[in-house]
Amino acid sequence: MDSNKKYWKGLEELNQTPAFVKGSKSEFAESIPVEDVLNEAGLSTKTPRRDFLKALGFGLGAVTLAACNRTPIHKAVPYVIKPEEITPGIPNYYASSFNGQSVIVRTREGRPISLEANRNSIGLNQGTDATTTASVLDLYDMSKLHNPQIGHKDVEWSALDATVIAALNKATASAKQITIVSNTVNSPTTLASIAQLAAKYPTTNHVQVDAVSYSGIIEANRTSFGKAVVPSYHFGNAQVVVSVAADFLGSWLAGEEHTQDFIRNRDHKTLKSGKMSRHIQFESGLSMTGSNADVRIAIKPSEEGAVLISLYNAITGANLSGGVTANKKAATAIQLTAKELQSNQRNAVVVSGSNDVNVQTLVNAINSALGAYGSIIDLDNYSKQYQGSDAAFQQFIANANAGQVGVAFFLNSNPVYDYYKSEDVKNALAKVEFTLSFSDRADETATTLKAIAPTSNFLESWGDASSKEGYFTVVQPTINPVFNTRQAEQSLLIWAGNTSSIYDFVKQNWEATILAGTGKDWKQVLQTGFIYKGTNSGSFYTFNGDVQSAASAVTALDKSIAGEVELRLYESTGMRDGRYANNAYLQELPDPISKVTWGNYAAINPKFAEQIGVGENGVVKVEANGYSVELPALLQPGQAMGTVSIAVGYGRYLVGKAGNNVGENAFPFAKLVNGTVQFSSKATIEKVAGTYELAQTQTHHTIEGRNIIRETSFAKYLQDPNSESGRFSDTHKTYDLWNKFESPGHKWVMAIDLNACTGCGSCIVACNVENNIPVVGRDEVRRRREMHWLRIDRYYTIQDVNEQNEVVGYTEEKKIKHLQDFESVTVVHQPMLCQHCDHAPCETVCPVLATVHSSEGLNHMAYNRCFGTRYCANNCPYKVRRFNWFNYWNDSRFDNYLNNEFTQLVLNPDVTTRSRGVMEKCSMCIQRIQAGKLQAKIENRKLKDGDVTMACQAACSANAIIFGDANDPESEVAKALRNERVYYVLEEINVQPNIGYMTKVRNTFEA
Amino acid sequence: MRNISSVLGRFTKGITLSFLMLFAIHSTSQAQDVKEGETLFKANCTTCHKVDRKVTGPALAGMSERHSEEWLVSWIRNSQAMIKAGDPAAVAIYEEYNKLAMTAFTQFSDDQIKNIIAYVKAEEVKLAEKANTPGGGEAGATGSSDANTWMIVGLIGLVVVTVLVIVILNRVIRSLENVILNNQAAILEAEAKNEEYTENKFAKFAKAFVKNKKLVGFAVLMLVALLAVGGWKTMWNIGVHEGYQPVQPIKFSHQIHAGVNQIECQYCHGGAFKSKNASIPSANVCMNCHNTVTAADHYDGELSPEIAKIYRALDYNPDTKEYGNNPKPIEWVRIHNLPDFAYFNHSQHVVVAGVECQTCHGPIENMEEVYQYSPLTMKWCVDCHKETEVNVDNKYYDDLIAAHEKLKKGEKVTAAMMGGLECGKCHY
Repeated sequence: MDSNKKYWKGLEELNQTPAFVKGSKSEFAESIPVEDVLNEAGLSTKTPRRDFLKALGFGLGAVTLAACNRTPIHKAVPYVIKPEEITPGIPNYYASSFNGQSVIVRTREGRPISLEANRNSIGLNQGTDATTTASVLDLYDMSKLHNPQIGHKDVEWSALDATVIAALNKATASAKQITIVSNTVNSPTTLASIAQLAAKYPTTNHVQVDAVSYSGIIEANRTSFGKAVVPSYHFGNAQVVVSVAADFLGSWLAGEEHTQDFIRNRDHKTLKSGKMSRHIQFESGLSMTGSNADVRIAIKPSEEGAVLISLYNAITGANLSGGVTANKKAATAIQLTAKELQSNQRNAVVVSGSNDVNVQTLVNAINSALGAYGSIIDLDNYSKQYQGSDAAFQQFIANANAGQVGVAFFLNSNPVYDYYKSEDVKNALAKVEFTLSFSDRADETATTLKAIAPTSNFLESWGDASSKEGYFTVVQPTINPVFNTRQAEQSLLIWAGNTSSIYDFVKQNWEATILAGTGKDWKQVLQTGFIYKGTNSGSFYTFNGDVQSAASAVTALDKSIAGEVELRLYESTGMRDGRYANNAYLQELPDPISKVTWGNYAAINPKFAEQIGVGENGVVKVEANGYSVELPALLQPGQAMGTVSIAVGYGRYLVGKAGNNVGENAFPFAKLVNGTVQFSSKATIEKVAGTYELAQTQTHHTIEGRNIIRETSFAKYLQDPNSESGRFSDTHKTYDLWNKFESPGHKWVMAIDLNACTGCGSCIVACNVENNIPVVGRDEVRRRREMHWLRIDRYYTIQDVNEQNEVVGYTEEKKIKHLQDFESVTVVHQPMLCQHCDHAPCETVCPVLATVHSSEGLNHMAYNRCFGTRYCANNCPYKVRRFNWFNYWNDSRFDNYLNNEFTQLVLNPDVTTRSRGVMEKCSMCIQRIQAGKLQAKIENRKLKDGDVTMACQAACSANAIIFGDANDPESEVAKALRNERVYYVLEEINVQPNIGYMTKVRNTFEA
Repeated sequence: MRNISSVLGRFTKGITLSFLMLFAIHSTSQAQDVKEGETLFKANCTTCHKVDRKVTGPALAGMSERHSEEWLVSWIRNSQAMIKAGDPAAVAIYEEYNKLAMTAFTQFSDDQIKNIIAYVKAEEVKLAEKANTPGGGEAGATGSSDANTWMIVGLIGLVVVTVLVIVILNRVIRSLENVILNNQAAILEAEAKNEEYTENKFAKFAKAFVKNKKLVGFAVLMLVALLAVGGWKTMWNIGVHEGYQPVQPIKFSHQIHAGVNQIECQYCHGGAFKSKNASIPSANVCMNCHNTVTAADHYDGELSPEIAKIYRALDYNPDTKEYGNNPKPIEWVRIHNLPDFAYFNHSQHVVVAGVECQTCHGPIENMEEVYQYSPLTMKWCVDCHKETEVNVDNKYYDDLIAAHEKLKKGEKVTAAMMGGLECGKCHY
């Protein structure tokens, strides 16, 4: 191992700040004030004997009285008429879809409790992102409206219908427009129901606008290829991927799908065959995608255009002006990158996260020159996830202001919050005669409107989606509407005078259009959940754009945002555009990079922070485009100097208990340039008074700099697959103090591929949902009391890179402090969960045997036995045990989501809700293991590999988590663990963990 | 005296009960042909017929007056043939009951059919008697329904002995009083002496006791030990509800359903074979039988009030045979309450292990009202896991058995050896 290579979780650890050192020594952030109790206020000399006796007497009496209560009577209420398909205690599964992804909904006794990807769906992703897994909680959200409203007063649906129809008739009579404003609608049914309305009221028009817009790409493709679409990308076919500020594994377009495709080219199976793609990222803020890049160059937002111009010049030999000149590092990197790209013609692609037409035109020109169309970029089976048009929404506002709009409906659209000029929207809407929102809650836009027709949750609705050309998924309800809601499509049909039920409408629509010619019927679709109409064959596309003028426009754009400080807005992995802001699971999901929960922040480079005089917990005021906001500063290694990154999606004020006033709204920083809403601009930043402690899980549960990350380069790996795996058992003989644990039946183990894990965190949310893990809230996270059984540790390291961008080694620890900047950090993500050690240190210290080993190699945790000494957590070298400081689900202090009987219906009935004072940790989804075994026993057969899956494993699109039985030599996990890259974390202390990790392999430029 | 009178009261009650029982037993002995008729009737006819009222078919009371015996015999044997032949009475009945054909019983001999008719006649007579003497049958029913005959006999014995003892004691007291009256003076003297003596003696003993520190210590220790043992035993039984028998919203009798009528457990508790929950049947399952079974013969021809509760739950009108729109679920009181942290799966035990329901739930087929038979403590679970052999024929265990060192030696394979004692198998 490189002895001089240092990995660190956060700057506190790197700098060894006193607070960090103190914190790392104790398992728990705050010790219990035992001494205080014993010394002063408690049982000291001041307490007379009488008081003691009084206390004792009261205590005894209270305990006796408490023990005398009668056993509570539990009612058992069976169905009056049991639905045929339901057997209490057995889950039912239904195919449905969420945001166009085919999913399987698991229901128990008629209530949905979790979502998993539909593994049988062709061409769609097999894992789920955090928002998908968390979405089941939204069904049980108490902040939703219970009834339709007119003027903030509950009304009957019939009254609302009468009002709406009158308004529609009036608008039609006076030839005013009826506008439906929505985010992208790709559902054939929704489009058909809008068409029905348009047929009845001819002045109807439909405006699609997305909070995070991709209209730049659509426009660019229209001018370049004559096809106004967002293409779909097949990163799996790419040998070289260059991304200029596109978080394509995270929030950019279809992040999960990209992850699955991209990682397929880098995971353990591909590496075994000696192949791996290379990923080069140019960006200002450290994004999740950037953290997974093989080579990452920090640039300012104003250099993005220049990088692309330089790349274009280097690849095509053209001589456009405006290339990179100032940034030497970037300039050399571009030359290397261009060489890579050219030598991988047709297997290389460049993507950009910009929403500017000219930038995207330039990207199109580069990709066209690289021959990426057809192989990697697919314009035939294009993506339909983002079709919003910024120009169309502009037009709507202009029309409204001109008094031409009679009726406006808002469907999944909240422009008062997420449009950059909120006031303009409000003013324009005030001039519309009748306005209505289909929002499920009285959100920022809905409260300014005249009426709300709350739509049902997708788990209560019939519908469909078509996220890609040729792919159709069905949405089927798994529960009756809980509140008095009605899905928007049904409302539209009723207002259009169509009396058919939404079920009949969806079914007829499918039978008439989608199913025709597929040979499948409606019932089959309900079972499989999707229809795949085959890939459209690749047409040939020639680039017809004007590169010259695009380049000069790009240079002009760069100049307009160039400044001493530049701001770049981004979508965070969990919160996205703010739609899911009331989802407590997502609020508490640590950001993949900063590990911040519950709020956004201004990310700046630590050295830059030093320059402007901001330290840890500092607060800064960021100003741009006439809007300013005060935000806590986050010292982010890897952030480009002179840049600040802020996440959108926060600062909602009318979303519900959990999400109200979390963070600050960053949407107003955006501006309209060249007809599209863009997220980069010139800014100023200054320190302001005060401190703010972010709820950051970054350095919690530290492993004190022990050597637990093993990383190698692809070149070294090719020479020796064992490289850097540093397996302890190869060189040392170990001795056992304990008897060997025998696992004659099953031995449950896991393999985690560090090269596949992108750190997205969807496994964390899946684990939360499956195992009833409570959300603890911002304050408790600050006290290091987050309950996540599975966390993803993010480690930074700094590489020494020479002029040619070749890695020559790793910066030694003592040199790190003298670095000029913290721009070139590299990151490794490591999922960390209970390692189910065969020699578990936690087991030996438990005084009551609450945690013991099983014959299947699992470390069991009996909650009812635990009485909370917390010795085990103290003794766990992996820091994966969590203590319940409170009854989070039944304590008014944690009233953010679960504190009511309704929301508690989301809990998985097969897993105990833990009470205050007990320890918990990853159980290896033992309820799933037991269920799988029981099924095999009932069916009188052996357990097959794949019969049991973990919740985290099922959620992982990258297939980074492999679980199974090590006693079955043919199981996937047994095969994976035979890989040369496998090492066990802290193997040297001989705790014999059961989770093997595979080394991180980075395809760097080697010296 | 109050004691004695209450004891005597119980005594008389016991005697009355036993007499009534004797009466009940006696009254059941009847003629042989009627008995055979009863068996046949119950096996073949009750689905559609009742003696006292119309169900699917007509009420049978008075049929012998309405028709001749030959007519009845041929009707019962094959009514359709009679209708085809054009018998006016047969056709009339057929028309009256919406052309609902009665099942033909060609397998019966004439005698058998006559026996059935005799039984129906006997039932008619009984009904008439019942109508004349209201409440007459009830006492008998109470007597016979009491299963604990032995207990009553024992009680009677006990009462007799107690009465004897009291009488003897009274005699002794009276003779002693006589003696006292005779020797009043002498006794007074002796008493005074005695008092002094006892006082001295007691004080002496107390002093000696207090002085002897070891003895005091021992006594205190014993007291503490006694309290501890008592406390320990009580504590262990906190939350153990063996014998828990709450009052249920419907007086449902497992004895009638599972015991007398031999209905399979699975018919109502199908979940036990598929799922972790045995599941209480929904009201529509009850209706499979109680659509026609109204137990009216036990309630003077009226609908049983307990069955009426099912109808109410379903909002079902037995006269119009229609369901309303206002069903309300029956809220049973849960008897077996496992804590939340213990996972128990019925199908694991019933299907995989083949455990009889009675192993845990006790003689359920004899329970008029269900009570918790087993303690449901962890010790109870664990004890069973230690003893119960695993059904190794299940293919699931193939690899496991092959790998297990101990099992190769041919030892008994218990659930415990398969990991059935591990915490995480039940607690998660």
